This record gives sequence, structure tokens and C-alpha cells, in this order.
Amino acid sequence: MILDWLLPILISAALLLAVAGMLKRISLWRAGQPEKVNFFSGLMAMPRRYLVDLHHVVERDKYMSKTHVATAGGFVLSMVLILAVHLFGIENRWLSYALLGALVLMFVGSFFVWKRRRNPPSRLSKGPWMRLPKSLLMFAVSFFIATLPAAGILPEAFGGWVLAVLLAAGIVWGLGELVFGMAWGGPMKHAFAGALHLAFHRRPERFGGGRSTGLKPVDLNAAKLGVEKPTDFKWNQLLGFDACVQCGKCEAMCPAFAAGQPLNPKKLIQDMVVGLAGGSDAKFAGSPYPGRDVGFAVGGPNKSITEGLVSPDTLWSCTTCRACVEECPMMIEHVDAIVDMRRFLTLEKGNTPNKGAEVLENLIATDNPSGFNPGSRMNWAADQNLRVMKDVKEVDVLFWVSDGAFDMRSQRILRAFVKVLKAAKVDFAVLGDEERDSGDVARRLGDDATFQSLAKRNIAALSQYKFNRIVTTDPHAFHCLKNEYPDLYPAGQKPAYEVLHHTTFINELVKAELLNLSEFKGGTVTYHDPCYLGRYNGEYDSPRELLKELGIELAEMERSGFRSRCCGGGGGAPITDIPGERRIADMRMEEVRAVGAELVAVGCQQCTAMLEGVVEPRAEVKDIAELVAEALVEEVSPAPAKSREQSKVAKKPLAEEVS
Amino acid sequence: MSEDIIRRDPRAEWIARNRLHPLHQTMQASPAETRGPSGLIRRNPHAVGFIGPNGIKRIDRMNASGPATVGGRRAAGAAKEVELPLHRVENPDYYIAVVPDMVGGRLNGHDKDVIGQAHKLIGEIGGNGAVLTIVFGEHREEAFDKAGVDRLLHLQGDEYEGYSPELRVAALAQVEKEYAPRYWLLPDSVAAGFELGCRLAARIGERPATQAWQVGAEQTICRGAGGTSDITRQTPRLLLLAEECADQIDETRHEVLPVELVGTVAGHASIRDCGQVAVDPNAIPLAEAEFILSAGNGVSDWAQFHQAAEALGATEGASRVAVDDGNMPRFRQVGATGTWVTARVYVAVGISGAIQHMQGIGQCDKVIAINTDVGCDMVKRAALSVIGDSSEVLAELIRLAKAHRQEVVENAA
Amino acid sequence: MQPDKQNASLRITALVSVGKHPGSGRARRAEQDARAVEMAMTLAPEGLEVLHAGDPQADSLRAYAGMGLKRLRVLQQGTNADAVPALSQYLKQQKPDIILTGVRAESGESSGMTPYLLGEALGLPVVTRIAEIVSIDHGEANLLQALPRGQRRALRVPLPFVASVDMAAAAPRQSAFGPASRADLESQDIGMAVMDEVKAAWSEAPARKRPKRLKVVKAKTAADRFKAATAKSSGDGGKVLRDKPASEMAQAVFDLLLEEGVLR
Ligand SMILES: Cc1cc2nc3c(=O)[nH]c(=O)nc-3n(C[C@H](O)[C@H](O)[C@H](O)COP(=O)(O)OP(=O)(O)OC[C@H]3O[C@@H](n4cnc5c(N)ncnc54)[C@H](O)[C@@H]3O)c2cc1C
Ligand code: SF4
Ligand code: SF4
Repeated sequence: MILDWLLPILISAALLLAVAGMLKRISLWRAGQPEKVNFFSGLMAMPRRYLVDLHHVVERDKYMSKTHVATAGGFVLSMVLILAVHLFGIENRWLSYALLGALVLMFVGSFFVWKRRRNPPSRLSKGPWMRLPKSLLMFAVSFFIATLPAAGILPEAFGGWVLAVLLAAGIVWGLGELVFGMAWGGPMKHAFAGALHLAFHRRPERFGGGRSTGLKPVDLNAAKLGVEKPTDFKWNQLLGFDACVQCGKCEAMCPAFAAGQPLNPKKLIQDMVVGLAGGSDAKFAGSPYPGRDVGFAVGGPNKSITEGLVSPDTLWSCTTCRACVEECPMMIEHVDAIVDMRRFLTLEKGNTPNKGAEVLENLIATDNPSGFNPGSRMNWAADQNLRVMKDVKEVDVLFWVSDGAFDMRSQRILRAFVKVLKAAKVDFAVLGDEERDSGDVARRLGDDATFQSLAKRNIAALSQYKFNRIVTTDPHAFHCLKNEYPDLYPAGQKPAYEVLHHTTFINELVKAELLNLSEFKGGTVTYHDPCYLGRYNGEYDSPRELLKELGIELAEMERSGFRSRCCGGGGGAPITDIPGERRIADMRMEEVRAVGAELVAVGCQQCTAMLEGVVEPRAEVKDIAELVAEALVEEVSPAPAKSREQSKVAKKPLAEEVS
Repeated sequence: MSEDIIRRDPRAEWIARNRLHPLHQTMQASPAETRGPSGLIRRNPHAVGFIGPNGIKRIDRMNASGPATVGGRRAAGAAKEVELPLHRVENPDYYIAVVPDMVGGRLNGHDKDVIGQAHKLIGEIGGNGAVLTIVFGEHREEAFDKAGVDRLLHLQGDEYEGYSPELRVAALAQVEKEYAPRYWLLPDSVAAGFELGCRLAARIGERPATQAWQVGAEQTICRGAGGTSDITRQTPRLLLLAEECADQIDETRHEVLPVELVGTVAGHASIRDCGQVAVDPNAIPLAEAEFILSAGNGVSDWAQFHQAAEALGATEGASRVAVDDGNMPRFRQVGATGTWVTARVYVAVGISGAIQHMQGIGQCDKVIAINTDVGCDMVKRAALSVIGDSSEVLAELIRLAKAHRQEVVENAA
Repeated sequence: MQPDKQNASLRITALVSVGKHPGSGRARRAEQDARAVEMAMTLAPEGLEVLHAGDPQADSLRAYAGMGLKRLRVLQQGTNADAVPALSQYLKQQKPDIILTGVRAESGESSGMTPYLLGEALGLPVVTRIAEIVSIDHGEANLLQALPRGQRRALRVPLPFVASVDMAAAAPRQSAFGPASRADLESQDIGMAVMDEVKAAWSEAPARKRPKRLKVVKAKTAADRFKAATAKSSGDGGKVLRDKPASEMAQAVFDLLLEEGVLR
């Protein structure tokens, strides 16, 4: 019988070639920059990461998760058994039966994959990915039939040479796709790269229900800052790109893509793959960057990415909303990659588009993005009698005001929050002129030098005083303070405080019955989750609980919670302002309209600005602090006498104006 | 109208009667007595007396005619243009040289401030000082006297026409040689004064005070560090003065006696003026434009809008919505993410006045809103708002602009 | 870019100073000086030298280097020294074709005298407030001078010359941290430091607010006085015209435009 001798040869040839391909692939990854990972524990943790964490993401799509379990589980199992039965020739009927079972499982899974692929949504890549279910079916069927004799179901010489040739062809196809292709860049590459990616992920904290969203600091003394060429990425980032299954979940979530800006996170990751392996994007079979044709991008491991592979506009379109990262079943870190490349453009090339350069220059010269006199940071609070840390030194709550201090609309939010704090008699103070921009925008625009400088000076200011918690109305500052500043504390020091968003804090106050709130009277309300509060920090509940306390029954938008759509205001995107076909904020407002809301509650001044930038008629936009402040029932007790100390602070002369 | 009401001015009448009053002479129709250069009193026989109603000359030794000229009916007509007392400087002990910008051939406010400063210095120093004003090329100024010009050095000739800083400085250096002014005062202006002043300072080796805004004979305060600091220093000989450094002359007339340079001006011009470049208003960078017609979501007829901008000679601007909708190019966007403009006059057509747009027009002097919504923020910001449909108002503006242009052409013809 | 824009043999020296941010008072690259560097970089990337007289440690100098300069020459001087003698001595030796400066410094005396003093010391013509160097031919440069409100004047001047660069010139490219921190600051002790003694006698304080001159109408007639007293001050809210024929309202707009003198 031909197959008896052919099968082991085919299998071992496929395996050998696969091993060679894998070594080649590994060498491509190793061209990246060194990054320390714990190999052993990573490998040990890998199955769990796959079975629990990754599956948790895939599970959001029940159909897909079931088919994948069947297909992948069936395949892995059959592969092991194929080795046993067909390569090592272990003649055990039960083993063969098990193999048949595994192949059936795989067949069923593949069948559903195929069925789904008959009418694929646009987010899915076509090309080889359309072939994959057929290859899977072919593998399962061919091996099934080839195994029947071994299981004793069919006679040894059944079918003669015709069938044998047919089976051999099917097996070559199947092995070619699933074993050879896995190592040589076929769609199955994702299994090999994905497994290793899970093992050597750059953010192991993400597994086991954790969260890791802060960007990694740049070593400012390095010879090159940021990523210019694919090989400037860390090796495990390159590995991560290779794990992409082109499922397009990221694409479906990306606000920039939906707005017709030239960004598609899936294509971006695939372009990174093109870059790391060398070649062109001609074979890419998914949606292009809106407005750009596929087939003209060429790259190589040592070629500058923004010269030919990815246009800078693509990188600058991203709002860093993390919707892609949240959605990616392979846990790929798009935002890290995008910011890494932006870093090179800003720190080495000085090519931050549009108002970017101006904003960065202002941040350097005045510690705020609009170039206001830093001495006027407290002007908004001239009538608020706020205590300043410099005077009080010690306090329970430090209110981080953020750059909203300079913006008239945001000041309304700040005042509302102060009103709430005062109503709850919170012991709080502000940093006043010692506060600086958190560095959020600088960092997202790639200027880590300015971010680090701002952060270090803010840390120095904070370190002078004693307080238990920082509360801020700005989710961006919240994220920086909470997740990114700890990296920049002087060696051996750690922040000794908790950082809270104001919605969390007010919610606590309400739960502690420190606030007396009246019922909200008004029309339909919906809530917009700010990216930097939700996806970056996992705070979805407090704002909702708080709104509920106000007696508001939310009309939730389709995209809400971890699937909330960005307002378009993050990542410096309003500053770089890459043109698209629509405005992200307009699309978001459309979703607000779709649920019939007259008011959209937000928890971020940037979201407020973006959503209010939508032309009228549109829903009203209010920060939760404003809603709470409006609902406050003033107690009749006389206002506590202000201490002399306090009023002096407020009257402190502000810097003289210069004509 | 009120101008026709005859009012007596008792003070003027009294001055006219009182020959000892310092202003007495100026109240006379024309001075009959002057002190000549040698110090002798000179009588002007023609100026004495007046022609009576019958045509015969009469000499009024009682000076009774004085009040008549001041308070009479004739004076009522002249009240529009009150004859100010003439300030004379004979045989000046020293000069203060002023080089005005003469933008458009006339003294502007800044020039007059500088001349005012010159007189203020003379007042402080005392003595017989004269303000020597140096004017280059053709001019159209008719009121040097009222601005405070005692002596006028008018340097004419083709070489001073157009942009000719090198020859002008050479001439000023010659003035320095011949007149050795006690002070040199120039307006610290973009128009010309700053440049000429610096050139002159470098030439004659003076260290000027620039952007000087409080100048006394001893001490000067001038702005330093790009206008962010005040430098207090001894008053130098050459000053470049800020606007409104001193009050303008408005209570006296001055002689405007012509003077000349004796020597020849030795100068060589290596910079050649090839003329002003014709700049299409729409090619002017938005940030520099003086007059912007800006369109927003409330504009529907774009051809008409462009036509209006052209007819008015305005640079075009736009709100972000107008840009997003593809009606205007991106570089026309005014606002936070567009250009921050500095136009003196900004006409917002159908723009609601979102905060991001307002940020871009913070430095505009006069905002005019054309909008259907009286409650919008742009109307709150505007000096003049017109509540109406943009295309109707624009159509009228086009008509007016065309009529105006026609008129100008006819007047010129 | 036109081919004549880049000139292989052209040697340009751009003089830079330490700027000062008007809001925060912090040192920065001066806006006009940065434009001078930008102009020189586009015109003669090869023959460009960026020169500063003063403290080589000044951090803000690096902001110029961040525009992509390999090196920056600093004539080492104390803060109280007069920059012009040092600069002119150095430039006399170097004899660049074009010396570019800002119009006025952002810190210190900011008198704007530097280009003129250099021109006088070196015997070179000085061109003020240029917006662009259009081309260079036959040893002469065609320049555009910035006039107020976007207007331009064409000038022609023989090389070598000194020119001050106006804010209307092309905006400077962004300063990038990487090149800025890596550039060489070649400090040179030129062995001369003319102390600025005149300046030592001055006192400097933050600028006081100058009150705007009130428009005192010296009323010559009672009618004028009445008018002055009843005239609406221009400060408070605008005039709103509504419910009138469009022609009438347009006339009001037109009159205001005429009054403002923006119609030509
Ligand atoms: C981050 C960010 C940055 C932004 N940056 C900018 C920026 O740089 N520049 C900018 O302009 N915007 C900017 N915006 C957008 C801004 O918020 C507003 O959406 C935009 O300015 C509105 O433009 P508009 O006034 O033309 O449109 P609308 O707000 O729709 O206003 C149209 C106006 O026209 C009036 N109108 C309607 N019909 C007529 C008619 N027939 N005749 C006369 N009037 C009529 C209406 O009453 C209304 O007042 C930004 C927004 C965000 C969020
Ligand atoms: S972070 Fe948001 S905007 Fe950026 S690529 Fe991902 S989904 Fe798109
Ligand atoms: S990056 Fe992730 S989400 Fe996007 S296509 Fe690839 S695997 Fe899917």
C-alpha cells in the first residue's frame, strides 16, 4: 500500500520543513530589540493564558469560540495522534479510534468555519483565509479516510491506488497548509506565533484578569528614540504582530477606521508583518486603510517604516482608544506599536503634524498645551476659596485640577466638582500653580522626553505633601497618575496614595450618604464611557451607579462599556487632526441620537469638548459632576465660617498681566 | 444745528483786549508787530487796521476789533476750525529732530505722539528748543503746523522715493552733522521708524532706547525682553518711541519754517527696491490678513461667498464645518485646530461661534456677525451683528462693494 | 523646491539668541531666530553655520539644534558681555555670504540693533524684516521684505549682506529631542569679552501695564462736549440689527468696513 510508506515520509517532511520554517521565523523575531522575559514561567503559563485569557476574549463571540475550540482542539489532538499512528506506526485500535474522533471534531469545527466564511463580514480577510476552512476540511477528511484501515474499519487495500493518490494529494494539501504553512507564513502561522506570543507577551500582567495599559517609558539616552524600522521593535512585539489572525475585530471597533481616516489597525499589524519579513502588502486580502490602495506598501526589517510601508498619517489617526487592543483575541498591542513609531517621528524627526509641534512647544515652555501663563492656572478658582497644598501641606484628598483649568467649558465641570466636594465636606486641597499638565498629550504624541519631564516635576511637587488620595475629573490625568507615573518615581520610591476618578469618588460619597441628592428630572439620558476611564482603567460601574442614584435610567448605546466608542479626543488626535470622511464625534453623537437621548452624561472634559463640537441640533452634554452638582440639595445649615487662612489664599494676587 | 449758534467766548474776548496776555497776538487777525531777528520791533503796516464797510482802511487803536473777530458772526462760521495760538521759536538754541513715518504721505497718530514727546522734552529742558521734523519724498500732509512742527526739513528727490533706507540714513547723518540735534526721536514702528532709527543709531554710534514709553530729559523707561520687561535707564540721545508715549500737540500751531541741508548727502544704496509685490488678498497668509470674510455652516451659496470676498477685497476664512463639508480648503480653517488670525476686521458669515472657533479670533479687533440666530455666541462677541439670511446680506454687500468701486473709479477719473 | 533655492556654495550664518516665552518667561528658542535658521536650512543646508555668542550651557540653544543641526557654534561669553564685538570679530574672519538674524531678541534689551551694528561693523548692507530669499543670481539676492498685513516688497541686494528675518518668514521646523540632545555645541573662547557697562547702570523690572490713552475729546464746542459725553463707549456689547431689509443691514456692515478702512 502506497500510503503506508508515503504517509510517514510526508509527515516527517512536513515536520522537518516546518521546523526549518519556524527557526527562520524565530530568527526574524530575534532581529528585534532585546527585551527581558521570563521564558520558563511564560511557557508554563501559556496553556492557561490560551485556555482562559484568550478564550475569554474569543468567548464574546459564542459561535466563533465554539467552532475554534472544535477546530483547534480537534487539530491539535489529531496531530498528536497522527504522529503516533501514522509516523511512529503505533498499532493500537483505540488510538486510531481516538484519532478518528479528533478528526471528526475537527471536521465539524471546520465545517462551521467554512459555513461562516461563505458570507464573510468585511472585517475578515479573504485570500488564503478563505482557503483555510477548506484546507482544514481536507486535512480532516483525508486523514480520516487514511486512518480507517488502521482502525480496522476498512480493509487495508481498500480503494486501490486511485484512492491512495487522491488521499495523498489531500494529505499534502492539509499538511501543507496546517504544518508547513504554520511555519512559513500561511494563515496557520497564528497558531505557532500566537502560542509563543502568549508565552512571551510584553504585558504579562494582562493575563489572569489583570490590566496593563500604561505606556512603557523611553530610555532617553538611547542612540535612537522610538521605532524607525521593524527591527527597532522589541523582539516580542514582532512576535506579537505575527500572531494576528486577521479576524478584523480591531478594524470593526476602530473609530478612526469608521470615520474614514487612513487607519485600519488590522492592516497596520499586517504591514508590520510585511515589514518584519520583508516584501510588499500585495497579498493583503482585507480592508485597506480608508482612502489608500493596497499593493503599494513595501518594507523590510531594516527599512524605515514610514518611508514606503506605513504613511505617518496612519499613525497619527489613532486616538489611542484601545478599542482594538480590548477586542483583539490575540492580545496584540496596537497602541504600543503606534506610539513607538510616533516616538520616532516626534523625537527624532520632529515631524508631529498639524498643531502637534506647537502644542509640544507650549508644553515645554509653559507646562500647558495652549501656552497660557503657568502662573494663571488658578485663575478659574479665584472665587472658589480653594486651599492650596503649599499652605496646608497635609490633606485627605488632593484634587488634581488638570488643564481644564484653562478652558472655560471645563471650568464649569471643575466648579461643579468643587461644589460637590464642599457639600460633602471633604478635606481637600489643590496643588495650584505647582500642578502641571499630566503629560498625557505629550506622551501620546510620542514626545516622551516632555512627558517624563512633566511627570518628574509633578512627582516632585506631589512628594512634598501628605495626602491619602488624588481625585481628578480628567481621565487622562487619572491614567497617567495612576498607571504611568509609578515608572518614573525615583528609584526605590513608590507613590503612597491612591488615584481616583471623580465618578468613583463621588459614588463613594453617595454611598457613604454624605451627599443629599434630588431626583434628576429630564428626558432620556445615555452615558458615554471615556476610553481612559473605561478600557484603560476598567471603571464602568461607578458612573452608572452614580447616575442610578440620581434616578436616571440609562438608555445604553449599542457601543458602551468596554465596547464604548471613542469621542475622537484621545491620543492627541484632535491636535494632529488627520482628515477623514467623517468626524468621530459626529458618529458618536449619531449613536446618542439612535437611543433617543436628550442628554449624554460623560466623565471627561475632553469628551465634553468633542461631543459639544458637534453642530446643533444634538443632545446636551454634561459631565457627571455637573449632574450631581445640579442635583445637590443644599442644606440649610449656615456655611462654615471661612478661616482667615483660607481667604488669604484666595486673595493671593495673581501674576500681573503684561500689556 | 448747534454750530450756527453764536456764542461769545468771554475769555477769548478778554485775551484779545489784553495786549499783555501771552496769547494776545495769536488772537489778532494777523500780527501787526513782530520782533525781527535782530531783536527790533518791526511793524507790518499792511497788517495794521482793517478795511471798513465802505472800503476804507481803518486803524483801530482801541483794539476793539479784536473781540469782534473772536466772538462775532464771522467767528461762528470759523468755530469749526478754531484758529489756535501760534507757537514760535526764533533762533532756536537747540533742536530735537523727529523723523516721522509719514505712512501714506501723512503724519499718523504715532508720528504725532513722537512730536508731542519732542515738545514735552523741550518743555522739560527749557530754553529755546525747536522741533525739527525731517520728511522724505513727496507728502500730502497739510497740518504740520497743528502737529507741532517748528522746522521742516523736506528732503525731496527721486532717491528718497520708495524704500531707500540707506540714503535716508545718510541724509540723517548729514542732519546730525549740521544741526547736532539734542535728541533724535523716531516712532518705533514697523512702518519705517524702527528700521531708520536703528540704522541711524548704528551710523552715529548712539545706543537707542527702543519701545520707550515714558521719556523725560533724565530718565527713560522702555520695554525690553520682547515687551515683557521695563528697563529704566538714563535718557539716551536717540529714542525709538512706543505709541502713545506722550500727548499730541493740540493747543498750538507751529511755524513749520522750512530749513535745508547745506552740505551734500553722501550715500550709496546697495539695496534696490523692486517695488511692492501685488498680493492677492486670498494669497495673504490667513494669520497675517487684515480683513477676513469667513464662512460657516450657515453659508449655502458658495459661489456667492467667493464673489463677495473678491468684491470686498477680503481674505477668505472658514469654520471647521465648512472645511469638513468640503466647501473650503483646510488651510482656510480658523480656530483652535486651524489658524489663529489677527485680522482687524473679521466678518463671520453663518458661524455660530463655538469655543474652538472663537479661540482663533481672540486677537481680532472688530468682529461682524451675519447670522440668522440672534442668540448665538458669535453675535455676543461681535461689534456689529446683522440678523438675516447670509445669502441675502452677501448679495447686498456685493452690490454695495461694486457701487463703491465704481464711485472710486469715477472720482479718480 | 526650485533648483535655485538650494545653493551649494552659499555660506549662511544664522545668529541665534536665547528666547523667552512671553507667557511663562522661560527660555526657549526665539521665534524669529528659529525662522532665520529655517530659512538658512532650506537655502543652504550645507553651508550653514548657526552661531551664538553667550553661555554655551544654555539649554534653549539645543532647541535650535533639534531642528536637525549637527553642530552649533558658541562664542563663549559672560551674560553681561556685549555680543556684537565678539560676533563681528568672528564674522570678519568667516566672511559668510549671508548673515541672518531675528528682528528683535525676546530677552534682554531687545532693541533690534544687532543686525545694524553688525552691518556697520562689517561694512555690509542690512536688509530689514525679510520674509523670503527668493533666489540668488549674479552675486545678488532677490528678497521679499515683509510689510504689515501680508504685503511684500521685492528687493535686490548684492552679497554679502546682513538680513533680519521677520515673523512672516516660513515657520521653523519642529525641534526634535533626539538630535537636540546629540548635537555638538562647539564652544569657542574668542578671548574677548567687551563688558556692557552702560547696561550695568540700568534697572530692569517686569513690564508694567500701560494704561491705554483715553480718547479725551477736547471739546471745542458744547455740541462736541455733548457728543463726547453721550457717545457709546466701544467696550460694551455690540450693535445688533434685525428685522430690517437686508439692504439696510448690509449698508451698516459696509459703512463699518469703510470706517475701518479695510476696503480698497
Ligand atoms: C477639538 C475640536 C477642535 C475644533 N477646532 C475648530 C476650529 O479650529 N475651527 C472651527 O471653526 N471649528 C472647530 N471645531 C468645531 C466647532 O466646535 C464647531 O463645530 C464649528 O466651529 C461650528 O461651525 P459653524 O459655526 O460653521 O457651524 P454651526 O455651529 O452649525 O453654525 C452655523 C451658524 O450659521 C447660522 N445660520 C444657519 N443658516 C444661516 C443662514 N441662512 N444665514 C445666516 N446664518 C445662518 C446658524 O444660526 C449658526 O449660528 C472644533 C471642534 C473640536 C471638538
Ligand atoms: S487605539 Fe482606537 S483609534 Fe487607535 S487603532 Fe486602536 S481602535 Fe483605532
Ligand atoms: S490585530 Fe487582533 S483583532 Fe486585529 S485582526 Fe489581528 S488578531 Fe484580529
